[in-house]
Amino acid sequence: MSLMTKAIGKEDHILDEVIRLGDDIANSRDLELLRENANLNGESFSGKMSKFGSEYAKWYANHFIMPSQLVQAIQDNIVYVHDLDQYAIGTTNCIFIPFGKLLGQGFNTGNGSVRPPNSIMTAMALVAIIFQSQQNSQYGGVSANKLDHDLAPYAAKSFAKYFLKGLDYFEEQEPGMTAADLGEISMSRLDLQERYPRSFRYAMRETESETLQGAESLIHNLNTMSSRAGGQIPFTSINYGTCTSPEGRLVIDSILEATMKGLGSGETPIFPIQIFKCKKGVNQAPGEPNYDLFLKAAECSARRLYPNFANLDAPLNLAYYDPSDPDTEFATMGCRTRVLADRFGRNHLSGKGNLSFNTLNLVKLGIEHGVVLGRRSEADEAGFYRELDHYLNIAMEGLLHRFRIQSAQKAKASDFMMREGVWEGGEQLAPEDPVGELLKHGSLSIGFIGLAECMKAMYGKHHAEDEEVYQKAVRLIRYLRSFCDRQSEKLNLNVTLFATPAEGLSGKFTKRDRASYGSISGVTDREYYTNSFHVPVYYSVTAATKIKLEAPFHDLCNAGAISYIELNGNARANPAAFLKIIQYALDQQISYFSINHPIDRCSACGHEGIIGATCPSCGSHENEVHIRRLRRVTGYLTGDFQTRFNSAKQAEVRDRVKHTS
Amino acid sequence: MNICGYSPESINEGEGLRAAIFISGCKHYCPGCFSPKTWNFEYGEPFTLARQREIIRDIAGNPLLDGLTILGGDPFFSAREVSGFIDLLHLEAGPVPVWIYSGYTYEELSAASDSDEYALLGRCDVLVDGRYVEALRDPSLLYRGSSNQRLIDIKQSLEHGEAILWQSVFTK
Repeated sequence: MSLMTKAIGKEDHILDEVIRLGDDIANSRDLELLRENANLNGESFSGKMSKFGSEYAKWYANHFIMPSQLVQAIQDNIVYVHDLDQYAIGTTNCIFIPFGKLLGQGFNTGNGSVRPPNSIMTAMALVAIIFQSQQNSQYGGVSANKLDHDLAPYAAKSFAKYFLKGLDYFEEQEPGMTAADLGEISMSRLDLQERYPRSFRYAMRETESETLQGAESLIHNLNTMSSRAGGQIPFTSINYGTCTSPEGRLVIDSILEATMKGLGSGETPIFPIQIFKCKKGVNQAPGEPNYDLFLKAAECSARRLYPNFANLDAPLNLAYYDPSDPDTEFATMGCRTRVLADRFGRNHLSGKGNLSFNTLNLVKLGIEHGVVLGRRSEADEAGFYRELDHYLNIAMEGLLHRFRIQSAQKAKASDFMMREGVWEGGEQLAPEDPVGELLKHGSLSIGFIGLAECMKAMYGKHHAEDEEVYQKAVRLIRYLRSFCDRQSEKLNLNVTLFATPAEGLSGKFTKRDRASYGSISGVTDREYYTNSFHVPVYYSVTAATKIKLEAPFHDLCNAGAISYIELNGNARANPAAFLKIIQYALDQQISYFSINHPIDRCSACGHEGIIGATCPSCGSHENEVHIRRLRRVTGYLTGDFQTRFNSAKQAEVRDRVKHTS
Repeated sequence: MNICGYSPESINEGEGLRAAIFISGCKHYCPGCFSPKTWNFEYGEPFTLARQREIIRDIAGNPLLDGLTILGGDPFFSAREVSGFIDLLHLEAGPVPVWIYSGYTYEELSAASDSDEYALLGRCDVLVDGRYVEALRDPSLLYRGSSNQRLIDIKQSLEHGEAILWQSVFTK
């Protein structure tokens, strides 16, 4: 009888949990839960619907799927499993899409087949469709790693079409001549320009205008399409900057131009996140073929927060760079993910991505073994590293366990991705085949958060406050990296170290650590832990110092990292400062860099810039009209940080010290 | 002389990333001034030699800076002392381009070549000149508040004997 009661008691408990989960979502009671992701409107019907699925899937994974020691490590508040809702069904994270291949061969969305495009306008429209089709196969970002190279052939097709039309209109063709006699028509054909100047000029102008329109429609599409049950805009990223053909340059120029113009009423587009790829010899100094486009990218970023800047010359990226293959150029998933190297030889980007990552709470380990609780006068480093090893192994086991689930999935589960060969080689699988052998080209990553608070807890100072502590911080991250390298060898898999883009996670560890230890100054007294290895946003250092301090960590985090500088002021009015800071960061070998600056928009008059309580242009007060305040989080932008960010990220934005105050 | 503000890095007071020092004291009393507190010569902290050296060290040690901007108040009411500081800066940090703000116009400041104001002017590179006129306020103007105010290339102007406007390398 007593046994029976116990069993019923357990079931009751489970039932209570299940009911409470549903109640919280249905009644929008838990805003933090609903705002976990700033690009999902968790208070909308579709947002709530997807939350129902998501929260129950997590609950199921926790109770019935994950290894018990991983569940324990999560309960210990030291390991965090990202996108836990996807764990049980074996979805993978993100991908670089081989747009060149898909556009060149045509593709099938599952509902119908699409022919290769014959113009740049159509090609750009198809880019949006491919993004949308692919993102349903995964849970993370979808990225174009070399969109300029991928789209250039279609600008050439448009040009050829207009040129032939021009020959006809302007009656420039010679008697008996056919299109075939002209050879391959492109913008670089100076001989054609000389022989048929009017047709050439006409084709040039038409192609320029079509490419710009195409870029505008692409950006509009990527900001308006809903997906994943309608609750989210796809996390799209486009990388460009190195294609030096006239067509490729036109594509880059048009995307920048369209971005600067903004959306329908001139507002800053949120998507796609844009990344300009910087490479010495290509676009970094006067006289280099794409230097003008780099300047334009800096100007665009000063106006719109995008593009961010990828550093192809940073040693960890340069190692795989082959000038003859743009697919070997470092690019990112926007948030910061990096998947360049592959121990099975696919040392290029497109056709693969990150599979999953688990993040370690360095802060709690620091509190337990540091001086901060007053239990000891000197940090217990041996104890710290012992426990770190323990949890690293659990996090690794968790990744492997999940990898086995992912590998066992049938190709038809990620239909578009496999059937169309978006994931390289997927097109060779039958629908029922498991995807395992292909997934090994992706990466499994261990991430971390709160290096600053960890150091503070261990030694009483964070890594920007003290040189000795800084060296210890570097040593710790190097230790994490070497763990990943050893696991790669041992498991024969791509295991990498990630400077985690903690959005939903930024406040989760903190909340529970504060409940355990109370509010500890400089450690748990804020609502969030500092992202990855960053110098805390509230700590005042010059831009140059922040860049210098963070640069060495980029080389260690081979799964990706980003560094930011906060500019206080109207950046768009001062491109000189903007440019100088970017190039300084690149010179210091920061792998991926961006400058944050406030962009506020007055909904009364459309003024964009810095707006305090009242609009400097029309005088409207924020109590009377909506001031949309755009900020960057984890590499992406979100519509308005005050309505979409979770409370931890809102607090982080408020605390950000401007490096120009 | 007192200073009432110091930004080690700013993008709001001149082209590029600049250190900015605000000198206390102004007698123009422009209506609508964004910071009337700074009219008081006693406002802020004394600009001691130690503080001067500290700021010069900051400037010399920051590879990102394009120069220094001096504003106020109006630094030309303390022209001799500000000149002294610029001399020290150039002695210890080398050639640092200086922008300076004043409620006086270029013509007023350059009128007498034996004045302290003229001497200070000659030590600087760009002058943002003229009183703030509220009726001419325009928030879209670069680095200044009202449309009567000008950005003047001091070296060119002194050489040619008339006010010549400064041009940004970005709009040239």
